[in-house]
Amino acid sequence: MTFPRRRAFVRQCLRVVAGLALIAVPMLSARAADAPDFVRDGTLAVCTNPTLPPMTFVNGTDTTAMAGVDLDLAQALANYWKVKLVTTPMDFVGLFPSLAAQRCGMVISGLIKLPARERNFDAISYLDTALVVVARAGTPPITSMADLSGRTVAVQSGTSYAARIAREDEALLAAGRAPITIQQYPTEDAVVQQVLIGRVFAFASQDVELYYRQKQLHGKVSVILRSDYPEYRHFAVYIRKNAHDRESVEAAIGTLDANGTLAIIRKKWGIGTSSTQAFAQAGHVPAFRWDTFLAALTSPAFARGALITLAVAVLSHITAIVISIPMAMALNGRDSILKVVLRAYVSIFRGAPTLLQLLFIWNALPQFFPIFREEWFTPFLATWLSLSVNESAYQVEINRAALSAVDKGQEQAADALGMNRRQVYFHVIFPQALRIALPPTINEFINLLKTTSLASVISLQELLSVTQIEVARTFEFTEYYAAALVYYLAMVFFFLFVQKRVERRFTWADRHRASANVP
Amino acid sequence: MYPDPDTDPSIMISVRNLSKLYKDFIALNRLNFDVKRGEKIVILGPSGSGKSTLIRCFNRIEPHSSGSLTINGQIINDHTSLPRLRGMVGMVFQNYNLFPHLSVLDNCTLAPRLVRRTSRHDAEDMARRFLTQVNILEQANKYPIQLSGGQQQRVAIARALCMRPDVMLFDEPTAALDPEAISGVVSIINDLAAQGITTLCVTHEMGFARHIADRIIFMDQGCILEITPPDTFFTNPRTERARAFLDQMIRC
Ligand SMILES: Nc1ncnc2c1ncn2[C@@H]1O[C@H](COP(=O)(O)OP(=O)(O)O)[C@@H](O)[C@H]1O
Ligand SMILES: [Mg+2]
Repeated sequence: MTFPRRRAFVRQCLRVVAGLALIAVPMLSARAADAPDFVRDGTLAVCTNPTLPPMTFVNGTDTTAMAGVDLDLAQALANYWKVKLVTTPMDFVGLFPSLAAQRCGMVISGLIKLPARERNFDAISYLDTALVVVARAGTPPITSMADLSGRTVAVQSGTSYAARIAREDEALLAAGRAPITIQQYPTEDAVVQQVLIGRVFAFASQDVELYYRQKQLHGKVSVILRSDYPEYRHFAVYIRKNAHDRESVEAAIGTLDANGTLAIIRKKWGIGTSSTQAFAQAGHVPAFRWDTFLAALTSPAFARGALITLAVAVLSHITAIVISIPMAMALNGRDSILKVVLRAYVSIFRGAPTLLQLLFIWNALPQFFPIFREEWFTPFLATWLSLSVNESAYQVEINRAALSAVDKGQEQAADALGMNRRQVYFHVIFPQALRIALPPTINEFINLLKTTSLASVISLQELLSVTQIEVARTFEFTEYYAAALVYYLAMVFFFLFVQKRVERRFTWADRHRASANVP
Repeated sequence: MYPDPDTDPSIMISVRNLSKLYKDFIALNRLNFDVKRGEKIVILGPSGSGKSTLIRCFNRIEPHSSGSLTINGQIINDHTSLPRLRGMVGMVFQNYNLFPHLSVLDNCTLAPRLVRRTSRHDAEDMARRFLTQVNILEQANKYPIQLSGGQQQRVAIARALCMRPDVMLFDEPTAALDPEAISGVVSIINDLAAQGITTLCVTHEMGFARHIADRIIFMDQGCILEITPPDTFFTNPRTERARAFLDQMIRC
């Protein structure tokens, strides 16, 4: 999508939003309806994973501005209950844990109403839909899922499509036919990409997605099957199990449907207006759009994402170094209970995957300590906390090796001159250990910088999340990936440069170069 | 048998029934002796006899286990201020142990500035004076790695002198040096007495011991076997073990 077109599109959206506001005003004047219990302190907290247009996605370069059917529904509900709406974007896998942890009262995120999910949560449907199978344009239609035998199909991970297709496989295997191979990708746009680049034969998705994608995909794909699965019929809002809340949400959605609000929202996002088959053949699409790449590179969204990546990496590593120095000293010292505890700490945090630690701190910690459910505990703080703890377990080994590489005679000589412990460490041992620790520490930091990308699962808007959100919006993945690569490389090279500069100060360890630097 | 160190001002160090234990291993076994102000003592003895342990008790790098130790009229125990004690008692090690990340001049000024709060200016003035005394002033701005072993040991002596100690302890100061370097270090140690600094030196240099020592202390297995002037010790040792030790030294 080029710039003028995008702006026109945004203008069009604004006009529709203005229309929605007109509907909202008379409702504001009405008596506040019986609100559910999870609407607290005049706020409706909604969690969503904004990577599924047109249900929930980021519609523009500002990654904090989410839009879509779900966002409009959330706003309409908030207006109906006369409360403030707070929406939190997060990774798909974080949605239900966040709902359980009471970080939000409601999940509206293009989720299908499924019996498996309803075992743990209440679901209230708000939009009809169907599962469709989509392949590259020109692929002949098929008549049933069984026709996909022997083919590879991509689906978004965390959705129920994979399990449903797996059941199809059982039937195929029983009939002696080749099964359907399923590949799972974290975002819907990554799923579509697999079809575009030809890695998979088709993808499974909801029809509403296709209505929206028509504009973006320029006729590059077409629907080859509308499935008759009964279970993919409704999009639903999810809440924690509570009969009263369920009734009040059902009543609210019933009212919004009756007064035409839902119809306006559907119309705004083009749902049900055109046939999914009507994909016009588009003209030539260049492989790499330089203007998109340069726009991404200079966009505030990318700069902000890079800044968050850098800030969380630097803060986490500084914290890790500060806590790992006393840890290393204790580990180098005499045997004690403390040493056993520290060894366990190091093993646990080196052993567990960093991703798991992030998810644990964000989703499990609030279950034990409600204080972590409060607003001050932002994704940034959670990432900082978990990466600091994780990194300290690695940094402690570097520090330990560096400290024990300093000759024991140094400490003795400093002691014999009457220095106290603090002076011995800060003026004699640390400066020498720093020289040994610096290169592996910079290496660790560069690793950490890259590890921050995992924090997208707990909704930190760092560089890679911003990239994924932009890709989901535009499908210009090569351009946005390239822009992200430039940012990551620029940061890494900057720190390698810093390392070289700092190492120049260590010429005292080199007999041949030492003389050059002495005043 | 021994004069009271509190009443006899000529006594610098007084050792009474001094013992040191590592777990149940007796490294020093009830030692008794006095060192006069300005005296030069050389401590001899086979390896493992407790020589290093003994002099490390004097600056409390190794706290003694029992007995009493008095230096300059002060009883050394748990309540002794370590910065003050170590300002009074300087130490030089076999491996020099210079701070490699600091220039020669900064090696000499670090402790006076940190421990004594001397200004940088005054500390550098004093450092230059002692570096001149050990004939190494022209290397003041170099890093230790650029100096030879002998030069490094001379810097280590200057660094210790910058704390203006009354007592200097040397633990095999020449053991790591080649023969030409030894004489330079020996003559510097010899000069210290002229400045009234009490010197205790552990060494295996027999010539050195014979020429500079006022008295020789001969140790074996944590005990002192002889305390005598060098002439007596080298020509007519009283104990069998001292004789065996000397025989072995001469044969080497
Ligand atoms: N920290 C220590 N722990 C246990 N034993 C020690 C320790 N330091 C020295 N020793 C023992 O004490 C004895 C005397 O050591 P040392 O004073 O270094 O002897 P010397 O300097 O005469 O060679 C040796 O047997 C040595 O093994
Ligand atoms: Mg020794």
